[in-house]
Amino acid sequence: MLFVMSLGPLLFAAVFGQLASLLASRRMPKLWLTLTLAGFALALTAAVLVLATGIEWEWRSAFPLCGEPLHLRLDAISALFLALLAVVGGAGSVYAGGYWPDRVHPLSAPAGRLWWSVLVFSLFVTLLSSNGLHFLIGWELFTLSAYYLITLDRQRVEVRSAGWLYLGASHVGMVCLFAFFAALASQTGSWELGPMCEHAKLAPLFWLALVGFGLKSGMFPLHVWLPSAHANAPSHVSAMLSGMTLKMGIYGLVRFSGWLPVPVAAGWTVASLGVASAVLGVAFALGQHDLKRLLAYHSVENIGIILVGLGFALVALTHGDAAWGRLALAGALLHVWNHGLFKSLLFLGAGSVLHATGTREMSRLGGLWRAMPWTAGLFALGAAAISGLPPLNGFVSEWLVFLGLFDATVSHGTATWTAVPAAILLGVTGALALACFVKVCGVVFLGAPRSDAAAHAHDSGPSLRGPMLLLAAACVAIGLAPVLFWPAIARAVGEWKPAWQGTDAPAPLLTLGWVHLALAALATAAAVWLWRKAQRSGFRRALTWDCGYAAPTTRMQYTAGSFAGIITEWFAWILRPSRHEQRPDELFSASASFEEHTPETVLEHLVQPVGTVVMRVSTAVRRLQQGKLQAYLLYLLVGVAGLAALVMSGDGP
Amino acid sequence: MMSFLEIVLRVAGWLVLAPLLPGIINKVKAWVAGRRGPPVLQLYYDLGRLWQKGVVLSTLASPGFIAGPAVTWVAIFGAAMLLPLGPAGAALSFRGDVLLLIYLLALARFCTTWAALETGSAFEGMGAAREVSYAVLSEAALITAVLTLSVHTGSVTLATMLEPAAGAGAALLGAGLFCVLLAENCRVPFDDPNTHLELTMIHEAMILDHSGPPLAAILHGAAMKLLFFALLLIEAVVPVGTLSPFAAAATLAASVLAVTVAVGLVESLLARLAFRRVPLLLTTAFLLCLFALLVAWKGGAA
Repeated sequence: MLFVMSLGPLLFAAVFGQLASLLASRRMPKLWLTLTLAGFALALTAAVLVLATGIEWEWRSAFPLCGEPLHLRLDAISALFLALLAVVGGAGSVYAGGYWPDRVHPLSAPAGRLWWSVLVFSLFVTLLSSNGLHFLIGWELFTLSAYYLITLDRQRVEVRSAGWLYLGASHVGMVCLFAFFAALASQTGSWELGPMCEHAKLAPLFWLALVGFGLKSGMFPLHVWLPSAHANAPSHVSAMLSGMTLKMGIYGLVRFSGWLPVPVAAGWTVASLGVASAVLGVAFALGQHDLKRLLAYHSVENIGIILVGLGFALVALTHGDAAWGRLALAGALLHVWNHGLFKSLLFLGAGSVLHATGTREMSRLGGLWRAMPWTAGLFALGAAAISGLPPLNGFVSEWLVFLGLFDATVSHGTATWTAVPAAILLGVTGALALACFVKVCGVVFLGAPRSDAAAHAHDSGPSLRGPMLLLAAACVAIGLAPVLFWPAIARAVGEWKPAWQGTDAPAPLLTLGWVHLALAALATAAAVWLWRKAQRSGFRRALTWDCGYAAPTTRMQYTAGSFAGIITEWFAWILRPSRHEQRPDELFSASASFEEHTPETVLEHLVQPVGTVVMRVSTAVRRLQQGKLQAYLLYLLVGVAGLAALVMSGDGP
Repeated sequence: MMSFLEIVLRVAGWLVLAPLLPGIINKVKAWVAGRRGPPVLQLYYDLGRLWQKGVVLSTLASPGFIAGPAVTWVAIFGAAMLLPLGPAGAALSFRGDVLLLIYLLALARFCTTWAALETGSAFEGMGAAREVSYAVLSEAALITAVLTLSVHTGSVTLATMLEPAAGAGAALLGAGLFCVLLAENCRVPFDDPNTHLELTMIHEAMILDHSGPPLAAILHGAAMKLLFFALLLIEAVVPVGTLSPFAAAATLAASVLAVTVAVGLVESLLARLAFRRVPLLLTTAFLLCLFALLVAWKGGAA
């Protein structure tokens, strides 16, 4: 068993590579990049070995860390996430060099490298450790390092407030996780983690995990911290946060719903939260004018799709391990990969746009395809993938989830009641996501530039383009040859639920792959042929016809807001857009304006009011504390009198 | 396995017969209005003429402006190949093909609207915005319709799903799908393919700037899409799959003609809806499909 023997050294080398890169991060960016990439390559090799062979790696040592013996484990589920981390992290590390270079950011670039290494190291620890205490330490460390990465550009006030919100929200989740692991340890008598489905009394702990991990994954309505944090972080960090760290929340949910017994209501709760995240995430995305904020809301949507899959897998458990649960879970896990890949691709693309134009405001962009053909093409590919269009990877995972839902519907059991609305709303989500990405691509890359910055953009260099090409290639690969990736997913599914083991594809993935290949070939051939045909019959460039309007200006173009207007009107009940309108008051009015802004509704209409009430109550209670000795004596006296009254009124033993 | 000849026949059938439908619709409209109207084969002449013409490209347009119509056409063609034709079955059939079919239509929509936004024209932006927005509702109706067929037959393969049609809920489903057909193909009362007032159009507004061969690809694709939805509607309502090949072919031909005439009649007798009423009608279509689903689930389950 050469594989098992080589896994340990590989992983240790990967972890030590990260630690060494930590030391190199300050002064030696080239060495840092080499070490980081080497660490990722080793980790990817280890993950692929586990996923390809199905062998589990476990390592125990008597050496105590923080009072607990070290216990590491790499099974198919953690390997699935480790592989994603290696790909997304590798792409992000290379991108960081071109996007956040030392000569522009002499202070924050080295700090960024340092915290990046800490983040990756702590993610390794979290994914590998099989001890509750070490898991918590890794989790807290990665939360903190992500905070420093988000606030790299902390001169800007919105960055600081986004970081603060992230830190606060994360620690609300952290409290739940503390409670979860502490309760788990006290019930089982040890911090050791592992399969313990036989302890039925552990089931209620799932709710703590759902809040703790759900908050990290950005599930609605716990997503309040996500849009501002992901929008204001440097783009390579946004890619890492969206692509990987959100998935850590999913990792926690998958991990512990597999290891621990779950309450009966868990399945449909997770599925409903997933449906809510999917539909509302994309609705909020449609209302955004900021490119990166929009992408951040799409993370909420995609996490929703993943949760729908996971939720139905949990529902299937209560229906005698129905086979459709396996499909739904496989779809969810594949979507973890897919979303990680295309969302980091999109964030890196948005980073290149920001780098070239200096703005994230979509209404100031436009026509960028001419100046940035690579970025435009790769972003378009990511957009098609995230809209779930064949022949790309997004469709494959959504197809699996859909198949699970359809099979659940056909089963005519009680699951039909949840599967029917979930399937319909998932379809609606797909159509909404398509609308949103047509809007983004159209407004940012097509048409005419809306500002000077957009007109004088330039395409990004190889260090920015390379990582995007890698991610795009991965998207295409999963789309065209899904059957190659199936064993990995199947092993993770088997790890989650041993009854669902087996590497046979439950659906004709092979046929789908061939259809995708044929579709891609046919589409390319048709496009090239039509282009040639058009060229042969004579090309003439002319002004956009625009129904005969001879002097169009760039301001006449449809904007992001007007494009999404119809749909955002349908969702106005939750988007609650704030509008400022100055109507033209006379025939030749000198000024008129219309402004629309979609706030984070849950934050502004739910969290903040509650926070205000808490602060008011706290201020009122503080009056008790005034520093006068007499007052404290009075409190004591009242307290003692109260106790005495309690004793007197009681019956006594 | 399907023979080579059969595939050639199927492809040729889709390519050649599709442009007939808009011609029939126009003829029906002309009859109702008491005009002579354009010849039924008008679209064939138009396609031939457009194919030979040169292309005028907007100065803003990227190569995607021409790739868009091409990919749209391929996507619709792919969906057509997945649609079973009564006892002849589909060119390719596998478990879950119905979802691929729906998403191929989405791919077509993505590419059409992409090409529309290439020009930076407000009109085309307007058309594209309407197209993607109303598609949200028609997609909900379509998914519900497909779920109905799935529940009725216990299958997620189109060939099996369409074989016995929708049973008891067929009338409801037929009405719902007819609305979806009108909306997806941009016919009255959702859109007016004849109007020259750009502000009131959806599909025509999106292709204002297209010319020459790309426009031919768009028009042919739109005709195929109309035939596709007509066939889907018919097979969801009439159990064509259970008939003998000859009877099935005759039924399909007659029903396609009936649907086309119905579209023409609707177009002649109804006015286009105000845009704010379009969502209402589409929601009605969705509800019709949903009731069909309830009938199939609760009524026909036993």
